[in-house]
Amino acid sequence: MNWEEKFMLLAARARAEEIPHVNVAPEVLTLLTSGRPEPLTVAENLWMWLAAGASAVAVPAAVVAVSAYNASMGPLREIVNSISWAM
Amino acid sequence: MLLGVVSCSAADPLDADVPGVEPDVVDAEDIRLTRQGDPDAYRRLIERHQVHVAKILWRFSRDRSVHEELVQDVFVEAYLSLNTFRGNAPLSHWLARIATRVGYRYWKEKARQKEAEAFSLAEWDQIADDRNTVEQLDANQAASLLHRLLEQLPPRDRLVLMLRYLEGYDVAETARRTGWTKTMVKVQALRAREKLRKLVERSGMELI
Repeated sequence: MNWEEKFMLLAARARAEEIPHVNVAPEVLTLLTSGRPEPLTVAENLWMWLAAGASAVAVPAAVVAVSAYNASMGPLREIVNSISWAM
Repeated sequence: MLLGVVSCSAADPLDADVPGVEPDVVDAEDIRLTRQGDPDAYRRLIERHQVHVAKILWRFSRDRSVHEELVQDVFVEAYLSLNTFRGNAPLSHWLARIATRVGYRYWKEKARQKEAEAFSLAEWDQIADDRNTVEQLDANQAASLLHRLLEQLPPRDRLVLMLRYLEGYDVAETARRTGWTKTMVKVQALRAREKLRKLVERSGMELI
């Protein structure tokens, strides 16, 4: 008997093995009810991608807006500083 | 949460069989109810299919606690992607594919951490090379030996050998289970068999 026949015979014996009994239903349901995410629907998926896209645009836009605001505030700040003694 | 209050009874999985009703019809109804948020429907699905899933995953881990966790992972993954199940094939086929994926992922993780159990080729050699000795071997002992022997191979080779020879699936079923093409299964099986031959003939010790 060569190695392959021996392997095949062992595999055939292994198929007759008894598998341990499991009952995972309580654990699975507990996992699913304790904060695991629910399956996303198609609509939720669309909203998720839309939100991700909007964030990707919004963050750079906010950075540009803050820089522009700071730049435009320069002359105004000078005026405010020059009359601050009156306030 | 979709699953609200969950009541779990310790029902025997066999109790879930409905006489005279095709299992797929029962599954379809429970899938529909699960999608609507009925936790008892999903409990019934788990109880009906956990023996089948456990049988598949026992080939991936013979450690009882790991095995049970893998079975749990399959049903959590199945629940989270239940909306993608179209019902064209029986649920058991779909679950079998998820189980194979979960088990394979576990093997890959274990291989990355180099956690293969120690295996001595002497164990292989101790079993006499005659048919009667092998056929009279205890099934559990045979399965354990093959598990540790195949653990010496990379996960990809191990998977194809396990499905083709331990489970006895043909090329088409192996392809369905793994998501590979039939050609890839044939090529992979050929390579894996060669590595296994080298291993048992002690000339391929640099396998992993």
